[in-house]
Amino acid sequence: MALTVAAVVVITQLPTRLGLDLRGGSQLTIQVQPTEAIPTITEREMEAVQTVVEGRVNGLGVSEAVVQQLGNNQLLVQLPGVSDPQQAERVLGGTAQLEFRAQRAGTEQQLQIENQILQGHLGELAALQAALPADGAVGSDTQARIDKLQADIAASETAIANLFEPSTLGGEKLTDAIARPTGGTLWEVVIQFNNEGGNEFAEISKAIAGTGRSIGIFLDNRLLSAPTVNVQYAETGITGGSAVISGNFTAESGRDLEIQLRGGALPLPVEVVENRTVGPTLGRDSIQRSLYAGMAGLAVVLVFMAVYYRLPGVLADISLIIYALLTWAAFNLLGVTLTLPGIAGFILSIGMAVDANVLIFERTREDLKSNKTLYRSVESGFFRATSSILDGNVTTLISCLALFYFGAGLVKGFALTLGIGVLISMFTALTCTRTLMFLAISLPQFRKPSLFCPGLNPVCPDPVRP
Amino acid sequence: MKLNIIQQRGLWWGISSGFVLASLVAMAISWQQFGAPLKPGLDFAGGTRLQLTHACVVTDSCTAGLGVAEVRSVLSQQGLDSSSIQILGDEQQGLSIRTRTLDVEERTTLQTALEDAIGPFDPNSTQIDSVGPVIGRQLLVSGLLALLVSFAGIVAYLSLRFKIDYALLAILALAHDVIITAGVFALLGLVLGVEVDSLFIVSLLTVVGFSVNDTVVIYDRVRENLRLNPGMHINDVVDSAVNQTLSRSINTSLTTVLPLVAIVLFGGPTLKYFALALIVGFIAGSYSSIFVASSLFALWRDRSGQAYGTEADAQPETLS
Repeated sequence: MALTVAAVVVITQLPTRLGLDLRGGSQLTIQVQPTEAIPTITEREMEAVQTVVEGRVNGLGVSEAVVQQLGNNQLLVQLPGVSDPQQAERVLGGTAQLEFRAQRAGTEQQLQIENQILQGHLGELAALQAALPADGAVGSDTQARIDKLQADIAASETAIANLFEPSTLGGEKLTDAIARPTGGTLWEVVIQFNNEGGNEFAEISKAIAGTGRSIGIFLDNRLLSAPTVNVQYAETGITGGSAVISGNFTAESGRDLEIQLRGGALPLPVEVVENRTVGPTLGRDSIQRSLYAGMAGLAVVLVFMAVYYRLPGVLADISLIIYALLTWAAFNLLGVTLTLPGIAGFILSIGMAVDANVLIFERTREDLKSNKTLYRSVESGFFRATSSILDGNVTTLISCLALFYFGAGLVKGFALTLGIGVLISMFTALTCTRTLMFLAISLPQFRKPSLFCPGLNPVCPDPVRP
Repeated sequence: MKLNIIQQRGLWWGISSGFVLASLVAMAISWQQFGAPLKPGLDFAGGTRLQLTHACVVTDSCTAGLGVAEVRSVLSQQGLDSSSIQILGDEQQGLSIRTRTLDVEERTTLQTALEDAIGPFDPNSTQIDSVGPVIGRQLLVSGLLALLVSFAGIVAYLSLRFKIDYALLAILALAHDVIITAGVFALLGLVLGVEVDSLFIVSLLTVVGFSVNDTVVIYDRVRENLRLNPGMHINDVVDSAVNQTLSRSINTSLTTVLPLVAIVLFGGPTLKYFALALIVGFIAGSYSSIFVASSLFALWRDRSGQAYGTEADAQPETLS
């Protein structure tokens, strides 16, 4: 009882997380292609590429975007509610473009101003997105403002990029980047070029040393960092092929820059190999249809049980409803993302949840037929059905495990909901139905065998036990 | 109602073999046509599917339905002659195009060309599925792997809880169900062009889980009866076990299939064939549990000289 109440509370308090196929959005699988220079892709490289992709995703300005590793050379990107999947795919694909560019003369103030404008936009956008409701419903005003901000941000980024001179010093000439503590709590990032890169870097740093202008480090045309160069390097530039970027780096921000630089240095092309996009309208349609299907399915099963099994059937119906509530609550509690196949798994598990009850009631009927008392029949019905229920459900769980382990995306969702459903159904059949049955037979008005197995009613199978 | 499983086993096996044979034939023909036992869908073959809805649906200003010819000419201009086109929806305003795998540039060009020719589409009802060939293979391999692993898992579990002969015969019955389900879809692929995707493999696995459940309930009863009646011939033991569990078998299949019928009737297009595969598989599964797995078990015990309960069968069962 308490559990049921808790379940209702959970359902009303915690939102159900809907998959992209229900709320609308794009799911992209990105494959990292090995090249001649880097024939095998290791964990370290994947991490760097992931950072680059995350940077690009952030540039899209999609709230609640998710980037995660898939296997050892793929990334899964989920973009809820993205309105232009083509643009997203264009931005996410391709090799990272890292460039070191010298700032144009006379743009010092402009850079500061542009940077402030950009930070202002970014701040406002972040605040707006944080305030969005969880169900992804965005008012048209807010959406317009978000679109405007994103356009402004893109414009600012271009404006900033224009303050720097084009350069040939690209990421392919950077060999490494490492963040390290400076001794105190501050961190710095060491960058290392190859020969050619070292010479070019010396040139660039010589040109701007002591001028107050900076070297812009751009990743995919977005400014990562703009360090200035001390006057002491005005003669020769920073030589030797390595340099140290210091500033207000914490351990975290230093490491961020390190990974971004390393990602930019990797000439690894990434290709979008899978795109699954569902428009929000279609998603809403699917939800509604599955809701109808689920309701209709549940209703038919409830009626069937009550008509065929009489009183126990009604009790099973009650525990079936409790089952549905508990399962739903479990989804919300565990943060299961509900997808279309997931809903199918849920509906299917309703049918399977009945099975345990059917097993028990059939056993009870048999025992009633062999002239046992009501109490003993119910008792042994539960006892003797238990091993069947256990074996049957464990085998279903084995299939679920296999699916969950090997399956991808949608398939996982199905395996998870069905698995949770099966576990909870075992629980409700062996506890809820049991409690209700014993409660019922403790009340004199219910203590009539005919309510359990209607007399010589032909519905009841003939006793075949010898 | 009382079924004579053992007496009429020739009939039951005949029905089963007929269906299995027909399924294999359907898959063989399908192999000739598509190079695969079932018509592979986007998930496995790779390709791009664009589903678009005319924007006039939103503003309720539709005048005429979309025409295949119009779309076809746009596709020819893009060099995509071999694509398939379907017009969807009550008002004929939906469009589903299946092409080879298009990259983002090609897709954008195609969509723009379509909009120029037909008019704007509603971005909120667009569905894109684009799967590269690498991913397709990956999905297929992982799906088949899942199927094999769950077979192995079930054999292991059943040998542990029952005995190895129960387990192997249960797997035989499962193979029967999987083959028949695949056969029905091979046939659907040949006749209606129905394709199988990852969800189909999911449905096969679910069929496996469900059908073994059915078989287990019957075997559980056989085992119990063997213990209670050590002097009874195995044929009679199996017969009575099947009959004792018969109404349970039928009722459970019914309560499981009913919600699935609801999905077929009300669910969206994605889930329709998924539910249908489950229905076919569950019915095959119930049949094989009741008629095939049981009678095979009796035959095996009879032939291997265990027609009467053995020492091991008389052991009381333990519940862990």
